[in-house]
Amino acid sequence: MECALDAQSLISISLRKIHSSRTQRGGIKLHKNLLVSYVLRNARQLYLSERYAELYRRQQQQQQQQPPHHQHQHLAYAAPGMPASAADFGPLQLGGGGDAEAREPAARHQLHQLHQLHQLHLQQQLHQHQHPAPRGCAAAAAAGAPAGGAGALSELPGCAALQPPHGAPHRGQPLEPLQPGPAPLPLPLPPPAALCPRDPRTPAACSAPSAPPGAAPPAAAASPPASPAPASSPGFYRGAYPAPSDFGLHCSSQTTVLDLDTHVVTTVENGYLHQDCCASAHCPCCGQGAPGPGLSSAAGCKRKYYPGQEEEEDDEEDAGELGAEPPGGAPFAPCKRARFEDFCPDSSPDASNISNLISIFGSGFSGLVSRQPDSSEQPPPLNGQLCAKQALASLGAWTRAIVAF
Amino acid sequence: MYSKLHENNLNFPFRAGGGNDIQWCFSQVKGAVDDDVAEADIISTVEFNHSGELLATGDKGGRVVIFQQEQENKIQSHSRGEYNVYSTFQSHEPEFDYLKSLEIEEKINKIRWLPQKNAAQFLLSTNDKTIKLWKISERDKRPEGYNLKEEDGRYRDPTTVTTLRVPVFRPMDLMVEASPRRIFANAHTYHINSISINSDYETYLSADDLRINLWHLEITDRSFNIVDIKPANMEELTEVITAAEFHPNSCNTFVYSSSKGTIRLCDMRASALCDRHSKLFEEPEDPSNRSFFSEIISSISDVKFSHSGRYMMTRDYLSVKIWDLNMENRPVETYQVHEYLRSKLCSLYENDCIFDKFECCWNGSDSVVMTGSYNNFFRMFDRNTKRDITLEASRENNKPRTVLKPRKVCASGKRKKDEISVDSLDFNKKILHTAWHPKENIIAVATTNNLYIFQDKVN
Repeated sequence: MECALDAQSLISISLRKIHSSRTQRGGIKLHKNLLVSYVLRNARQLYLSERYAELYRRQQQQQQQQPPHHQHQHLAYAAPGMPASAADFGPLQLGGGGDAEAREPAARHQLHQLHQLHQLHLQQQLHQHQHPAPRGCAAAAAAGAPAGGAGALSELPGCAALQPPHGAPHRGQPLEPLQPGPAPLPLPLPPPAALCPRDPRTPAACSAPSAPPGAAPPAAAASPPASPAPASSPGFYRGAYPAPSDFGLHCSSQTTVLDLDTHVVTTVENGYLHQDCCASAHCPCCGQGAPGPGLSSAAGCKRKYYPGQEEEEDDEEDAGELGAEPPGGAPFAPCKRARFEDFCPDSSPDASNISNLISIFGSGFSGLVSRQPDSSEQPPPLNGQLCAKQALASLGAWTRAIVAF
Repeated sequence: MYSKLHENNLNFPFRAGGGNDIQWCFSQVKGAVDDDVAEADIISTVEFNHSGELLATGDKGGRVVIFQQEQENKIQSHSRGEYNVYSTFQSHEPEFDYLKSLEIEEKINKIRWLPQKNAAQFLLSTNDKTIKLWKISERDKRPEGYNLKEEDGRYRDPTTVTTLRVPVFRPMDLMVEASPRRIFANAHTYHINSISINSDYETYLSADDLRINLWHLEITDRSFNIVDIKPANMEELTEVITAAEFHPNSCNTFVYSSSKGTIRLCDMRASALCDRHSKLFEEPEDPSNRSFFSEIISSISDVKFSHSGRYMMTRDYLSVKIWDLNMENRPVETYQVHEYLRSKLCSLYENDCIFDKFECCWNGSDSVVMTGSYNNFFRMFDRNTKRDITLEASRENNKPRTVLKPRKVCASGKRKKDEISVDSLDFNKKILHTAWHPKENIIAVATTNNLYIFQDKVN
């Protein structure tokens, strides 16, 4: 059937519908939102396959040009079971950013990531047939196009959650790979939207709320991970997250976050976050109050696992600066989520409704529901302070997102 | 044998094997004339009672209006009796759930009549959360001649009473009173979409998005949960219940439809919780019709058993399907309501029309089915002759006994005279609710805020 709208517009329209359903009289309509999530899933599938085809074409062109070692490095780097793509995202390059050279490997890497994403997607589809969970899938697909959806879709496809197979926590399995951003697109930075349309099970502390990266991930494959800094216009980019069930195991997660402003990608090591979380005595998962702003991620941020990092001086610098600025939101995500779940046991039907929506928009929302960044905590490590600032700076976006839900 | 045929033919001119098709005539229209529709006046449900004498409507403002058919001398009348307002009452009020910070709409989702057992009439009306049993009774006599009260109600000074008399009942102007006899509340977490009275006339079911509860009409403080499709993890939700109905004859059987286009028939004798269906009715999807919106348009918006109980009818966005209860793998009949909309699904999704929930209904003899469409059109399908007709509910033909002219929508290409092109359809004028008199060819069709009554032409 011919559709007058392309996948991107459909996705943004769908998100708008979900958003507005919140304000309608009578409460959230489960049926309608479920149907909308199906449309989201379908649109996302189409979008993914289009992107894949496009990147494949690019790769065909660039195949011979690039030395392969970059790619290997990235692959080697990837956490066990994690798709290379998850760790591979280089800094965002908006519009004219990045040099052409960097773009090529980027394209190839993106393709690789996308390929892996696709694999996972197919895997997931298979699982879904047995244990259909389109909602989650769609939820994932519900990329956080900002309410108002400026069609900055790049985030969506990736976000499309590849939920782990039904019921199976994913340790060591690739989880939601990062969104395979389209190749550097000349898209404007999406309006701040801090909506993270991520898979609901994104407990990774470091996952910052992702706003649709205007020009998705791209760039130099070699770019080091950047700490996600929420900034006032949240250019977050969520990485893969462990399943929520993993969360209990010390946030074992590897999250990659991308700061759209600084174009630096950061990957946070397993377990690190939780330690920090707990150490800060503010980790909700420990039943405490609001987690310190991005403390853990601060430390985590420092670990720049990008093999290509050494080669990218700029990025390293950036990373260095930002290493201390964990995203206000990222480290909180898993903790927040846990907390939210504490708040609202599944038995509460309304929580179910909310959790559905949160599923759609990613666990970033759970953070929104349950916490405010607390800037007045005990002296956190330097990183934490910066994180706090970042968090506060991003508060506007959070607030907007809170307003949305 | 002959007399039985004859009797049937009096009421159902849709004669098998030919004969004149019925001609529908305008009879009445109820409701405000302005184009500016107050939201509270939007009709949300229409239902005839078991005899057809009463016609109830519910609206978004929580009100129920009941019309009664005039009793006329049928042999001499030119048309069947007119429907006039019989009773109006506020059934549900808007509520606020403080715990969840949710407003509960007062919109009446469904009305179902109980069969009449005595002089009073009873109906069930429901909004999203609460079902109420209303008693509608007439009062046409009142006691007069009290000893201690004057006729106007003032009390008399006892010292002035010198004689005693026995009060007597004297006729008075008819007064129709509606009083809530039972309130069935707090049993539904999600939004109630259906209620259905069992053929035992003692119990009824209520269905929301994820659960179906069984009630006894006399007991309000508890209900049995008989279907629960809520997944342990709400993120795994894939379908919801969209409609449910008891079988008209078997008090142990009911069906429920889902947003995935399936219908499950359950037998309450099998187990207390009927999560496992006895029969699953599902038609495989046609892959050539796959689109972004496949899931939406396959969602069933209404399910209705035939009067005989042998068939059931389902309505999804584009079609009406008749299922034989004995065959699960596909419907026995499929009627396209407005196939020309298939290429417009995108726009219909944008303007939310694709989520409209159309209802459908059978005529008394199960030979014709009817459902609504856009532009105030409604469609009828004759199962025997396989003919269908499109009619319009509009005030333009509002002279009584004006025969309605069939309409035609031109899907594409050259538009013939009198045809309407798809692009000029008014998607704000939708007919979601229709009802057919149980015994006669009288239909009630609800546009946004008006109720039209059509009858067949009586010569």
